[in-house]
Amino acid sequence: MAVKEEIVSKAFSEAMGAHRSRNEFVEKITSSEAIFSFPGSWSFEDWCSEEAKIDSALFPSLRSLGNKHCAVVNKAFQDRFKLVAENSQLRKRVEEAVQKNKQIVFTGHSSGGPIAVLAAIWFLEDSAKRDPPRRIGPLCLTFGSPLVGNHIFSHALRRENWSRYFIHFATRYDIVPRIFLAPLSSKPQFQQILDSFKSQSVLTNLGSYEPPSIAYEFFKDVMSNALTVTSHAACKLMESSNLLFETMTSFIKPSSYRPFGTYIFSNGNGKLVTLNNADAVLQLLFYSCQPSSEEDGKEIAKKSLTEHFAYNNELLQSLKEPIVLDGKESADACNDMINKAAEDMGLSARGRLCLLAAGELDSQKRKNKEKMDSKKGQIERALKDVENYKNKCAAHKVGYYDSFKRQKNEDDFKANVKRLELAGILDEMIEMLKGYKLPDQFEGLKEWIDIGTRYRRLIEPLDIANYYRHSKDEDTGPYMVGARPKRYRYPQAWREHAEKMPEGSSGESCFWAEVEDLRTLMKKSPEEQTKFKFESRTWDIQNNVVRWGKERVIQDAFFGDSTFVKWWESLPNKLPEIEQLVIR
Amino acid sequence: MLALRERCKFIVITGHSLGGATASLAALWLLCELQSVTTSPPVLCITFGSPLLGNDSLSGAILRERWSGNFCHVVSNHDIMPRLLFAPSATLTPQMQLLLQHWHFSMSSTTTTTTTTITTPPFGIPAAARLGDQEKAEFLGFIMASLEQSSVGAAVGEETAGRFSFWPFGNYLLCSGEGAICLDNAASVVKMMYLMLMSCSLNDFTEDHLMYGEYVARVSSQYLKQRSFVHGELNRESSYETGLALALQSSGISSQEPAAMQAKDCLTMARRLGRTPHLNCAKLAVSLSQVVPYRAQIEWYKMLCDESEDQMGYYDAFKRRGSSKRGDQVNMIRHKLGCFWDNIIEQLQNNELPYDFHKRDKWVNSFHFYKLLVEPLEIAEYYRRGKHRVEGHYLKNGRPRRFQISDRWWKERRANKDKNRTRTKFASSTQDSSFWARVEEAWEWLGDLQSGNDAINKQEIWENINNFDRYARTLIERKEVSVDVLAKNSSYTIWNVELSKLSSALVCPAPLLHSA
Repeated sequence: MAVKEEIVSKAFSEAMGAHRSRNEFVEKITSSEAIFSFPGSWSFEDWCSEEAKIDSALFPSLRSLGNKHCAVVNKAFQDRFKLVAENSQLRKRVEEAVQKNKQIVFTGHSSGGPIAVLAAIWFLEDSAKRDPPRRIGPLCLTFGSPLVGNHIFSHALRRENWSRYFIHFATRYDIVPRIFLAPLSSKPQFQQILDSFKSQSVLTNLGSYEPPSIAYEFFKDVMSNALTVTSHAACKLMESSNLLFETMTSFIKPSSYRPFGTYIFSNGNGKLVTLNNADAVLQLLFYSCQPSSEEDGKEIAKKSLTEHFAYNNELLQSLKEPIVLDGKESADACNDMINKAAEDMGLSARGRLCLLAAGELDSQKRKNKEKMDSKKGQIERALKDVENYKNKCAAHKVGYYDSFKRQKNEDDFKANVKRLELAGILDEMIEMLKGYKLPDQFEGLKEWIDIGTRYRRLIEPLDIANYYRHSKDEDTGPYMVGARPKRYRYPQAWREHAEKMPEGSSGESCFWAEVEDLRTLMKKSPEEQTKFKFESRTWDIQNNVVRWGKERVIQDAFFGDSTFVKWWESLPNKLPEIEQLVIR
Repeated sequence: MLALRERCKFIVITGHSLGGATASLAALWLLCELQSVTTSPPVLCITFGSPLLGNDSLSGAILRERWSGNFCHVVSNHDIMPRLLFAPSATLTPQMQLLLQHWHFSMSSTTTTTTTTITTPPFGIPAAARLGDQEKAEFLGFIMASLEQSSVGAAVGEETAGRFSFWPFGNYLLCSGEGAICLDNAASVVKMMYLMLMSCSLNDFTEDHLMYGEYVARVSSQYLKQRSFVHGELNRESSYETGLALALQSSGISSQEPAAMQAKDCLTMARRLGRTPHLNCAKLAVSLSQVVPYRAQIEWYKMLCDESEDQMGYYDAFKRRGSSKRGDQVNMIRHKLGCFWDNIIEQLQNNELPYDFHKRDKWVNSFHFYKLLVEPLEIAEYYRRGKHRVEGHYLKNGRPRRFQISDRWWKERRANKDKNRTRTKFASSTQDSSFWARVEEAWEWLGDLQSGNDAINKQEIWENINNFDRYARTLIERKEVSVDVLAKNSSYTIWNVELSKLSSALVCPAPLLHSA
């Protein structure tokens, strides 16, 4: 998809114009686009860098599925967006524009940028819920926008393949994109800076602007914090195993704000630098602003304030061709982008190394995925073996869960070996996911969700059988409470997200654990039973079993001698539908 | 300090010169104290120009406990104090006395400005001035020679070089006018300390000890600025070469100097070889899955012994095995599993695994369940070979370190978990993996009593026996033992039988239990 220069210019003039508006947003309809621009604010409360958890009702996709890390967002921006979303006509107007088949563009300058970002994500979440989903994606163009959230933003947006809709423009020395790398809430200087921005925004002749005297102090403050954040990130990129680094991490918590989407910088000499590797952008944010001497520093500090309003001169004039990005660049294309960025920005040797390290991490992630892909064959073969074992048991009218639990035959032992072999491969994958060492798209890939679901349905019953066979529930508690391996939890989370199912509803692979738990509970006292909700759980499991039985995902439970049927027959209140499913 | 622990989020201990040595010791003490506490604030010890503290055994111990990340020693390139103890005899020379006096005066008479001035003490010429140039040169030369010897010895890996002489530990932040580098490989630290000192002038080495304020201020502001690479062209192709060149520049050694080549080699040596920790850990998951089937075989062996006619339980069956094929196989598996876990411990100590490895449930659990199942076999083998007669009992002298480590990890993970679970059937493995070792000790006590030897302290032995008896019964009541303990012919059951025979034999003639 290509973004034409005219759209960018139109968006920019709208974004700047919005500052003068008193409304929550400004709408402009052209022949092919509907541009929604959000005004910035110059008051301190609207800029405070305090972090808050993302509102998961509004933005359910902004989390990592397996690790369950929620996105963290700037509180002030989220609150402001919520006001706009609830109280204004935004939703209605956007809907009307969609009906007219317009390309929706969300835009903002300065602190209007984050609102545009949140509006775009909100639009995308809404589109995903619809059936059929909307055809055209939105476009989100920000100018000199501060950072919005932590690394989960970048991770989640890539997984959903939404990252390509976000383009952030930044002039080389503009301080605002870097501001949240420093903690700002306690800085009275910041109010002065905001005031200076305010006065600049109403000036017609930009040449007459005089930066305040604290500009240099403020600049140094932001830059030294940015240095902490970027060197911390660079150490992680280069996989430093030095223990001192770990100790330091627990002492100093650098800012968690991170870039996402595509960034387009001006290099100060008429060239534009495009970068969409979020780690590289973070490093660039510091190194492109690094002064070479104290004198230079003072000059740059002044520019850092003036360039916040110089987008026309510095950036847009250099935009000569449409921007083409589809998020599916090859490894070489990505590396080229990084090398070019380092060149065109004239970075120091250290800066270049950090950027290259970011590129290297990306390559490593791709290699890890290739490695997992190469194991698919092995996984398929092992699954097939266990499938055969299951069918063999079925031929003897025995559920494979029960056969495995008894471990009487050699077949049972072999199935155990297969189970362990698969556990090794899948655990390796989980280790990589935990450290974010696989590409962000991985948890959204259909092929892996399918493999995960099949693996889960076939093998988890064997893990549960093994667990209860060794009476491990007496060692460490029920299987579902703290003993369930991540290699089952993660694929379940992926499937539930991809198919928009409620969390925890896709539990057909671990229903045996619930059965075992209820069996033990049945032998206990009535007080214990009420404490652990025996009644309601019994009903729930019976209803679920009927549903899964109809979907044919748990056939082996219905043999006459199976643990489940025996337990069900002993219940005082039985669900009659189950009788029809039992195979006698 | 212990009171502070409750209230604060983290602890920083610091000191300059000899104060640094005290700080290091305080930090070591605190780390030892906090080891037994589950949640403790992180501790960081930062020292400036402090002398060496201990020999390579100390460094090794700190590495094994994974505390080297808690120490950061800031050392400037020309400061003589941290390098002093490479030549311990130098501290006894008169030059040393003069140096110490000079530093003492300078430090106590300056204010908190970062630049140091040599103020004239109330009486006469400053102490340093009494050190003539020749004497300075001699002193410096002496230190340099010892330093060179140590660094050469380190490179060759000489055992004797390290054993009695001082050796660095923890991380070193070596600063120069051009920047700083951070190293944690002790041999590299020694070498770099030597190489960086080479460019030292006669005045530098006395004054540098006082210049830490300047160095620290400079380093902090230095990295904010873009610095061009001064010494020649940077290799654009290899990032590694570039990194190396930048590190060299930061250490203040210009590429023209003869020391440059050696420094490059030294820094190369310091890097981590092999895969990154995360990938190592991921690969281990696959290795674990290949090793667990062996554990399954031992489980099967255990079950076989439980069901066999001998009714001995797997501990005794293994201990008393003749030369059977199955016994040999089980022995080999026991050995293999031991090697596997020893290898993991070694990787952990060499920093090849993620630093929070010992907190990950998967590994803590696997390690623990291996220990519960296989330690009885280790104990059986130990006593079978009669090692207890030569080296003492298993629990005191024979227990492999990996089991102690597993105990520690398990305790840390399970400290807050529910301990009051009541069992309805016997556990699949005895929950105290050293149970059988205690049984063996109990056998020895019983043997002592039965032998009728009057030289022994009967009261103490009876006390031990009663303690053991109580301990065993509690375990059995709580069903925390596996069924093999109660097998008809297991060591424990037979011991119980012998004990009751002995007790009843004693009741008849005279109650020894009441003897004074």
